[in-house]
Amino acid sequence: MLNWIMQLQLLLTALSAFLPLAPSQYRERIAEVLEIAAKALAAGGAVAANVDDLALKLAAIRAEVEAMAASGRAVTSDELDAAMSRVRTASGAFREALAASGV
Amino acid sequence: MRHPLRAIALACALAATPACASVQVADTRIENPIVAARTLDQRAYAALHAYAAVIEEATDIVRDPAAPVGFKRALGQAERVATPAAETLQIAVAAYVRARADFEAASGETQPTLERAATALTIAARRLNEALAAAEAPIAELEDLVRARRG
Repeated sequence: MLNWIMQLQLLLTALSAFLPLAPSQYRERIAEVLEIAAKALAAGGAVAANVDDLALKLAAIRAEVEAMAASGRAVTSDELDAAMSRVRTASGAFREALAASGV
Repeated sequence: MRHPLRAIALACALAATPACASVQVADTRIENPIVAARTLDQRAYAALHAYAAVIEEATDIVRDPAAPVGFKRALGQAERVATPAAETLQIAVAAYVRARADFEAASGETQPTLERAATALTIAARRLNEALAAAEAPIAELEDLVRARRG
């Protein structure tokens, strides 16, 4: 996703560089279209960065579980408590954010 | 040629396109930590942490003023179903860990004690399996919503 957005942003930048070469009667309209597209892509980029954030978190958990599995180590009660504590904290923050947004 | 500069500009843009397309910024592949687990307790541990990570992302979406209210409501409904399933999973895995410790402690005990511990461990394992299966769908629903919004 991030790659795709980055490629489009680069293409848009390349096209914007050639804007002065466009016929003068269309130049303003083309600039508006490029600006709107750039804004949309910037918003998409922020969203894609969050996807990366989730992917990173899941990759970190997977790496930890892979290490446990490779060593044959059992999960301790403390580790399970910490995992559930993370769920409760995240759930609390989610519900708070939901209430704050008026939903 | 009527517009040589435009022709050159177009040629440059077309020449730059493959270079733009070859840019590699980051790998956005989403990992599934649960498939890395080999034991029941590891699966439960991975599922709880992965679920927490998904709620954290869902929270960011809910805080986004641009996110549609209907979508936030759907996230809220999914979370209200998934979190109790995660709580049940935590209770089941805690019982399983206790039963496993009891079984290991009973290894030097009499045969009836060992059999009782083995039975308790079997029951705890079955309940944990059921809790994992029951949590799978609601957690996946919230995760799918988050990915749909993000992806």
